[in-house]
Amino acid sequence: MDAYTGVVYPLVLVACAVLAVVGLLTLALPRLHRVLKLTAPVAYVAAGAQVVAVLLLLFSGIEADMILAIGYLIASVALLALLGIGRLGTPEAAAGDPDPNRPVLSTEQVARVDAAAAVIVAIALAVVSWRILIILENAA
Amino acid sequence: MNPVARISLIVAYAVLALAALGRSSYQISTKLSEAPVPYLISGVSAALYLVIAIALWRRWAGTALVGTAVELLGVLTVGTLGYIESSWWPDETVWTGYGSAYGWVPLLLPVVALVLLVRERTARAAASSTPEVAR
Repeated sequence: MDAYTGVVYPLVLVACAVLAVVGLLTLALPRLHRVLKLTAPVAYVAAGAQVVAVLLLLFSGIEADMILAIGYLIASVALLALLGIGRLGTPEAAAGDPDPNRPVLSTEQVARVDAAAAVIVAIALAVVSWRILIILENAA
Repeated sequence: MNPVARISLIVAYAVLALAALGRSSYQISTKLSEAPVPYLISGVSAALYLVIAIALWRRWAGTALVGTAVELLGVLTVGTLGYIESSWWPDETVWTGYGSAYGWVPLLLPVVALVLLVRERTARAAASSTPEVAR
């Protein structure tokens, strides 16, 4: 439990903060898109570490609400799919899709969409992690 | 609507739908009898978020406008009732405390969406009336 509260949870929060800050900066300055792309793997690593740590805790006999905790873990992984969602709006990606509602974005718009998604994912991931912490603390 | 704003709204509503759907399906399936009203309201909010996300994607402007208006009304009603009649709410909903458990996003999001949707509607109405004026 100490490893989770002392290392993994702070790591997730720091990753979320970095993602949110870089996302906000990229919204204002789309040329920072390259930096944003570099921060996405940090979020993957943090979320992955959280999944491993929480699963280890849950299966080590801690009496937490397992369904709820695993539900939040799945949500934390599902959120990551939204990072870099702007790539779906590139002309190349849209060309192969007959859906008329699919937007075709310029390079700058792709950067801004990725930035907005990063901010939203960062906030949601931080909230999900906080919820997991509460579940684990209540059980400890 | 600006495509960046539209996709950002879709992403935000998809995340809220995921959160509300997970929360309400767990509450409804495991402890509905403990607090039926709050849990069912959470279920309704989850369905609403999903409908709005799909409406924004499919460009169903009317559905999105009505959905966000209903959502804002729901957040304001549940939030206010939570303070003046707290005995009615044995447990929290997504909209309790005006969505405070979700960083007040459930309150802010429909306001932003409504502003963007109404602006789009106004711009479209102005664009369609311009040729008639010219004639």
